[in-house]
Amino acid sequence: MPITVSPETYTYVSFDAEVIRRIADDLVRALGMQDRTITIDVDETTPLVRTRLTIDGDAIHINADSGAFEDTRLPRQQSEAATATALGRVLLRASDRLTGGFGEAPADDQLTLAQVAAWETYCIGRLERLGIAVNRQRWLYNFRNRHGFTDGGDTAFDQLWTNGGLTWGELCAISDRALALKAAH
Amino acid sequence: MRKFLPADQLARDERFNTITMQDRFNDPRSALGTGDAATTTAGARQKFRLTPERRDASDGARGLMHGIMVGEIQALEGAGRTCWDFDTAGVAKTSSTGAHSAGAAQNPSGDMDVPFALKLDMARQCWDEARHVEISIKLSDWMGTEIGQFAENTVLFAAACSSDPVLRLAGVNCALEGLAIDVFTTMKEFGDLAGDPFLEFCEDWMLADEVTHVKMGSDWLRKVTENDPERRKKALDFQAVVDKLFSYGGTRSDSDESPIGLARRFRALAGFTDDEVEAINDVSVQALEERRARGAAARASADPASATST
Repeated sequence: MPITVSPETYTYVSFDAEVIRRIADDLVRALGMQDRTITIDVDETTPLVRTRLTIDGDAIHINADSGAFEDTRLPRQQSEAATATALGRVLLRASDRLTGGFGEAPADDQLTLAQVAAWETYCIGRLERLGIAVNRQRWLYNFRNRHGFTDGGDTAFDQLWTNGGLTWGELCAISDRALALKAAH
Repeated sequence: MRKFLPADQLARDERFNTITMQDRFNDPRSALGTGDAATTTAGARQKFRLTPERRDASDGARGLMHGIMVGEIQALEGAGRTCWDFDTAGVAKTSSTGAHSAGAAQNPSGDMDVPFALKLDMARQCWDEARHVEISIKLSDWMGTEIGQFAENTVLFAAACSSDPVLRLAGVNCALEGLAIDVFTTMKEFGDLAGDPFLEFCEDWMLADEVTHVKMGSDWLRKVTENDPERRKKALDFQAVVDKLFSYGGTRSDSDESPIGLARRFRALAGFTDDEVEAINDVSVQALEERRARGAAARASADPASATST
């Protein structure tokens, strides 16, 4: 299925819709999601880094603030690595929700900060194995901020990072164990 | 070695990309949607203070930590330059070969000479800043940030380029090191709340140095301008300009809408009076209001229908 990116041209940032489409296409193939209709809307009026996901049947809709695809070294310029990481995270979350095992996961805006961090870790670990360049320490720091700076927390991070077939229940159990260790610390 | 080095000649390797305040002002997105009132409804105002509860807390802390690191590099360069750029008061302005130094040629009257003890304080500050750079690099590594991962704004060094050493003290030691007190306090509290075993500890140590730097600056400013009220006024006016520049968009104030809080207790320890701190808060709150107004105007011009949502 074709991937739709809008807008096609940008005024406030130097982004290329074709680059976004190519990166999304590579990810979709790698994740086996070619049968889905995917639309990506970029809000170039904000430098924030949020991405929002809407699933409607087989259709996946992604809203991304321009900061999500931006090169932090070169403001207003596009970064292919940032684009791949941002799209990869949201596509993997969509894939988890669509392929089973995550049916009881709350809506994105209902997730706790710890659940978000745990799911991010699970997604980024898989992205790294797909060949996307990621900074593991960045995501470990993010996980520690939500689950505590403990050895047990780091073990939980490794379990999420290296795993590929978790269910929502299993993911939450790992997260909850780390939170219990944090509370006891 | 050249005296009075402009900011665009600072030595940086290929990891760094420098931007100016002008670049920042020219980004139209900063007016259209910085995520403050622009994204809320019916006048509701979001809390933007950098705390672990913020959804983007980790990346926000990483970005601020990198800003601290490049700020420390520029503070080191600025204090070092103040040692080098000006002649020492009471020291003959000829070299051992009998030639006049470049500083003497630029300042034959000697009214910009600085006391030796002031240079000693600036040299001490260099050691502090160098240590802060090392600490900041290690903290950035701990947080998963590469050196140069964020664009470097060289405005701090620009404030250290004045041809009057007293203005440098006002702009850098009083205004910018004062801002550093606010930033370090915010990061210290962030580390404490998050339970980070290193962040809170490191920020606390650096904060102690910043309090000293501000005190050195304000003491020397008063001493050097003791019999020159006009020069003192000029310096304090420059300090106010730098304070306003760094309050752009309401970056720091008592309001939770500002990412960085105003560290009133530590500012008091550094010698700021309550009135001076209140004046900085007023400037910042005014900058926050200006940002809201700019955002509303920009959104109204981009999409008239959205103007009613703020």
